[in-house]
Amino acid sequence: MSAATKRVNRRRFLNLLGGSAAIPYLMSAGSPSAAGLSGKITMIKGPHSADEAKYEAEIIDDFKKTNPNAEVEFTTYDWANMNAQLTAGFASGSPADVQYLVDLVYPAYAERGVLHDMTAWVSDPSWKSEHDAIQPFAWQLAKSSKGTWGVPVLGAVYNIFVNLDLLNAAGVADTWNKSYSDMMAAAKATTKGDTFGFSMRTRVSDYAFWDWFPYIHNAGADILNKDWTANGLAGSEDAMQFLIDMHNAKVTPPVGSVDWQGQFDLFKAGKIAIYHGETPEINDLLAKPPPFKWDVAYAPPGPKAQTVMGNFGILSVAAASKNKDLAWAFIKHWASGPEVGRFASEVNLQVVRTDIVNQLYADKPAMQKIQKEFVPRVKGLQPHPKILTMLQQIWPVAENAYLGNLSGRQAIGQMGDIINKLA
Amino acid sequence: METATSHFQLSEDEHRKQRFRAAMRHNLTAYAFLAPILVFFLIFMAVPVVWLFYLSFQHDGILAPAQFAGLDNWRRTFSDSLVLKCIINTLYYCAMAIPTVFVLGMIVALSLSMVRRGAALLRIIIYFPTLQASLIVALIWTFVIHPDFGLLNLGIRALTGVKLNFLGDPHFAMPTIAMIEVWKGLGFWAILFLSGLLALPQDLYHAAELDGAGPIRRFFSLTLPLMKPTFYFAVIFATIVNLQLFDSVFVLTDGGPVDSTATIAWYIYRSLFTFSDPGFGATLSFVLVVVVLALTALQTWLLRERA
Repeated sequence: MSAATKRVNRRRFLNLLGGSAAIPYLMSAGSPSAAGLSGKITMIKGPHSADEAKYEAEIIDDFKKTNPNAEVEFTTYDWANMNAQLTAGFASGSPADVQYLVDLVYPAYAERGVLHDMTAWVSDPSWKSEHDAIQPFAWQLAKSSKGTWGVPVLGAVYNIFVNLDLLNAAGVADTWNKSYSDMMAAAKATTKGDTFGFSMRTRVSDYAFWDWFPYIHNAGADILNKDWTANGLAGSEDAMQFLIDMHNAKVTPPVGSVDWQGQFDLFKAGKIAIYHGETPEINDLLAKPPPFKWDVAYAPPGPKAQTVMGNFGILSVAAASKNKDLAWAFIKHWASGPEVGRFASEVNLQVVRTDIVNQLYADKPAMQKIQKEFVPRVKGLQPHPKILTMLQQIWPVAENAYLGNLSGRQAIGQMGDIINKLA
Repeated sequence: METATSHFQLSEDEHRKQRFRAAMRHNLTAYAFLAPILVFFLIFMAVPVVWLFYLSFQHDGILAPAQFAGLDNWRRTFSDSLVLKCIINTLYYCAMAIPTVFVLGMIVALSLSMVRRGAALLRIIIYFPTLQASLIVALIWTFVIHPDFGLLNLGIRALTGVKLNFLGDPHFAMPTIAMIEVWKGLGFWAILFLSGLLALPQDLYHAAELDGAGPIRRFFSLTLPLMKPTFYFAVIFATIVNLQLFDSVFVLTDGGPVDSTATIAWYIYRSLFTFSDPGFGATLSFVLVVVVLALTALQTWLLRERA
């Protein structure tokens, strides 16, 4: 294993932190109130790694050092079936006390009253320094339906991976992301034989909307308008048309023919020049370096902005939890700099704390670039209770448009009608 | 003597009572044997169906308290274009999959009935795909239909120079799902038809042979008419099972592309769990029940007339 892919262990991470960021946490961890907690709680989370249970055990072990009488049981849900499993858990009346929920789903649960409003906890003056270490945009994502439903901890950024060898060979390495027309020109220049210049997810089962969002946001549009009373897609017609043109220009694998994993496999095989992916894939590229130079990037600037899409996870407490104090103590521990930082390093996700950014990913330049340059540009989801329903219901329209059956204007119009019915 | 005779001469009323008691004893015994399955049916079928019917007139009711919705969910069901598309897609799938698997199943069954050596092993091999989980089936078929390295696509490309986008093209996606389901179900139907074939009275075949009937005449004049009870069961069972198509769609396409593989069962799941809309999901469940009952009743009537 190369130095670049070496795992960050606890001691190394604490050394990297240099103590400064960890001080508030270490002080609070040793306080008598934390030491006095006891009882048993469960935590449920979707896995970010095959070694998820091992990484969680590290966090739990650290927690038990200051809370020897506390017991934390960890369990996972499948990402593909998370709604069914979480709903079943909540409906049972005894859900997991601590829930890792992504911004796509938590608003629906918050609206139904199955999550505990954590506003009082996160506003507590004794936790202020920790609260302020988390970026404001992340807190905004954790608030909906007049409450704060969790502590933002992790995020995944949907970045672009580029094959620099292919771009260099076509003479477009310096220009490909200057504008949408440059991106199209680069995609055309690098498409040869069975090598494609461009790829993005098109299937709803692959959550294809993540790759679509930056182009919509860059046009100054969003799913909902500012007060969330109607669709906010107006203005994104040209962006949609650009994506349709990209698919019709035959510079991508045929729409729907290759799933997300398949596209990543093609990128690793050097068969895609500009590939829309997700930061955890960097681990793969570092562990088994492909036979070409690669880099991470974000979409060219649009008429109104240059954003990056990210989706984030929060740690929530179930309203039905019988040991909310212990659950809150565990969340504070999980969200603390040393713990969340180590976990993020292990699974290659982004953190939303500003105080550990400089130390994080010192040995992974691509991840550090994403953490430092991309995360501040993130424009995330609007946490509306029906956001997932909206995205899944509009997606067949996008697919139809990518297939060349709708213009950008028609597609955005149809999507808007669907959103208006649900808003 | 007279006294004894009169003792056994019961009035009509007493006879009726005795017959009633005997019938009761007989029925009670039957009900006692049926009780476990009736309790199971009540708990796991009747109660959920009644609960779903109740939910179809409510908003929420699983995570949040139910709120009376009147006919909202039913109105939505009849105005939602995706519901109609799901019904059409499901019927389209059934129209492709059921006749195909029956014809192929019958051919395989006839072939198996003629095998003398290694028949047991062959039956196991043919039945094997039926035992596979949908996820495994999806993985296997990825290697068959993948546009770049799929075996079927390599063959098609070698012959025609064209790559088929099996699951990505709205025109091919549902036929591809049907093809995969036929492959998965073929073993079950072949073994079912084989058991029907093996139970046919052989003396009729000997007599037909003596009368000079060839294999084709014997198949159409004897085998097919004699297999009617098996077909009767098969058609109804296959319709009920296939109208509930979910696994392959969920694993392979999630209803896409462009809702071309959206089925009723898939939409029920999505409404209940992805959209957290139990009232609408419950209403859709009733639509499915009605469609299944209507088709089953129609088939029962048609087949009974001809059986």
